Amino acid sequence: MTSSAIDEQVVLEVQGLTKRWANGQQVLNGIDLTVTKADVFVILGSNGSGKSTFLRCLNLLEDYQEGRVLLGGEEVSRGRPADHVPNKGEQTAATRLRRRIGMVFQQFNLFPHVDVLRNVMMGPLHVLKQPRAQAAETARAALNKVGLADRADCLPGELSGGQQQRVAIARAIAMSPELMLFDEPTSALDPVLRREVFGVIRDLVFRDGNTMLLVTHDLDFAREVADRIIFMDAGRIALSGTPDEIFASDHPLVRRFVSS
Amino acid sequence: MRQDQKAEIAVVVIALSLLTVCWCSGASAASDIDPATDKAPVVIPQAVEGTSLRRIQDQGVLRWGIDPAGGAPYAMPDPREPQRLIGFEIELVERLCQYIGVRSEPVAADWLALIDNMRAGRTDLVMNGLEVSPERAEVVAFTLPYYRYGQQLTIRADDEGKVRSLDDLAGKRVSVLNGSAAVDVLERAGFAAELIVQYDDSLAPYVELKNGRVDASLAESIIAAYYAASMPELYSVPRMFSFGDYAGAVRKGEPELLDAINAALSRMKENGDLGRTYQRWGVWTDDQQHVGISRGPEVAKIDLASARSATSLNWPLIMRELATATATTIVLTGISMPLAVLFGLVLALMERSPRRWLEWTARIYIQVIRGTPLLVQIFLVYYTLPVIGEALGFGDALVWPAFAVGILCLAGNYAAYEAEIHRAGLDAVPRGQREAALSLGMTPWQALRFVELPQSFRIILPPIINDLVAMIKDTSLVYVIGVRELTAVALGLGKARLIVPQMLVVAAGFYLVVSVIADAIGKRIEAGLQRRGTPKVTLPPAH
Repeated sequence: MTSSAIDEQVVLEVQGLTKRWANGQQVLNGIDLTVTKADVFVILGSNGSGKSTFLRCLNLLEDYQEGRVLLGGEEVSRGRPADHVPNKGEQTAATRLRRRIGMVFQQFNLFPHVDVLRNVMMGPLHVLKQPRAQAAETARAALNKVGLADRADCLPGELSGGQQQRVAIARAIAMSPELMLFDEPTSALDPVLRREVFGVIRDLVFRDGNTMLLVTHDLDFAREVADRIIFMDAGRIALSGTPDEIFASDHPLVRRFVSS
Repeated sequence: MRQDQKAEIAVVVIALSLLTVCWCSGASAASDIDPATDKAPVVIPQAVEGTSLRRIQDQGVLRWGIDPAGGAPYAMPDPREPQRLIGFEIELVERLCQYIGVRSEPVAADWLALIDNMRAGRTDLVMNGLEVSPERAEVVAFTLPYYRYGQQLTIRADDEGKVRSLDDLAGKRVSVLNGSAAVDVLERAGFAAELIVQYDDSLAPYVELKNGRVDASLAESIIAAYYAASMPELYSVPRMFSFGDYAGAVRKGEPELLDAINAALSRMKENGDLGRTYQRWGVWTDDQQHVGISRGPEVAKIDLASARSATSLNWPLIMRELATATATTIVLTGISMPLAVLFGLVLALMERSPRRWLEWTARIYIQVIRGTPLLVQIFLVYYTLPVIGEALGFGDALVWPAFAVGILCLAGNYAAYEAEIHRAGLDAVPRGQREAALSLGMTPWQALRFVELPQSFRIILPPIINDLVAMIKDTSLVYVIGVRELTAVALGLGKARLIVPQMLVVAAGFYLVVSVIADAIGKRIEAGLQRRGTPKVTLPPAH
């Protein structure tokens, strides 16, 4: 990480984010986090520690009850009671916020009824309101970045899992998001396909300097790309530091994770 | 018996005296008809503003209710030209309208619904074998009587001589026309309800008698003369009894219209117009003089029997009629089904809404519609829509024609089923699809429109095609409000020629062909969509 002034610009700030399920069970408990431009945060933790839920709260696929989230210094969401039905203005705000954040899912979630190009065009065309030709251009550029420009006419079902996830990444970056969220992007893939997807993410980090939060179980990859590693446990940030600090630590959580 | 005989003597005496009166006056009252144009002069002056008569005069048309399914000789489709109605009542009202100076427009509906239809404002007059009774006089204003009928008993020819009157039929089953005066006559004679077998049209009681399901049939003399006489296996006891009158009916509280119709009727009774019409149609009896109708000039009878036999096997004509009616059925389905799918989607989205009142409105609608018969819904909407319109201050805005009401009911009914299909279809699209769309920054509506619905539609197409085929056949129900679709036309053609079963078989064949074609087209679209994309998920049919 360089230290020029522009790189110190804060992208995401999370303050005291707390979430409870409808039954009152606490999933996230006062998360604080600051991400500056071109930072790569890797989130580690056992299943059920709240990693995925945390990412989903950031782009409001889940609501949360306390705290607030700032994007580029501007408050984009805040905690609401669990039974709150969002009004028109809040819905519009949520839609605007999601436009600025890209998300990649464990199960890819490509749209199976349209081809690869249309999957990637969907955002530029309908959300950014680009004309069709320009949206196609944007989509081809994004596909080029993930090395799949030649598969533009395929249907998702005709691609391998690794290729599908690369298309999903292209779909997210076609929107030029300020922040990318990766929710266990390689968990559904075998080791060979995993390497292929990591290759693409690596490019986004080192070639394009994207700002991202990445949930993964792959320690080697975490060590390679992370500026900072966060360990989550029972809805809290249990430990946070640079990869070197984390892997040198003798915190029981880390030891258990590394040895497994 | 003794009383009957007394009554008969009285009738004869009155008849003779009236005959004398009529003969005397008849000599002077010449017909008003201009022999060159066969038109009657306008004798009713323009009514004052704001009355229904004035509205009818301004529009130049009198809409009146009749059930062509009731059949000849009252009213039936012309065997040679089935779009046109013929019959003695059709001719009567046409002449009546000439005296008022307007055009006659018969509006078809089920006989039992004629009065409701008039009170709803779709017609201004009912003139279709409506027997004068105190119960009916409670709800409508009757015109002067225009026909005197008697009840006539029909039995199987084998029983001739064994059955002479109702007294010989104790404990036997008797068939009648649904809601006709014969029902009252039998009830008063002590017949239990299960012995009175009611049918929806004039022909069926006699067919059932012939087939042996009942032992006698009771109907007004006109019907007996027309239908029973055409079956050599049947015999009608000549002596008539329980005389009564047919009269027209208008809404209460419209004296100007009533007076105008009565004035024209009186004139037609006196000058022989009415008598001539009855003679032409073979329904003249001397009893008519009891209600002041003069016999009129001798005229040749219309030879309906030969018209019927000459056209009964005219298959090109029958097929052309059925094809036209099939087109109506296809148009009904073609408009109603897409509307049902669209409205069903709205209901499904309401059900998924986080807003409780939307969710519950949709749920209640779906339960009520699915829990009540379509036939009842059609009747209810047809007769209450105008009342609701009136109550809400829309005036005549909700007096929709039968075709539009038919579409509304079919679409509204099927929407409840399509809503459940939509709901299942949307549930079958994985949640991640919506999340992926939303996380691109799409609005919930865009996610639905571009991601969820296209996928759901592929899933729900087979059950929708299934319902489409079901709807093609359910369109037959709207015949009860007078839409000339396939079933109504097949029944009409069959009754005019006395070949109802044959016509129904042919109509069933038409339905089958349309359904098979619709299904084949649906399967092709399905195959086209499945060829690329979505893995196939099947849902059980909702019907």
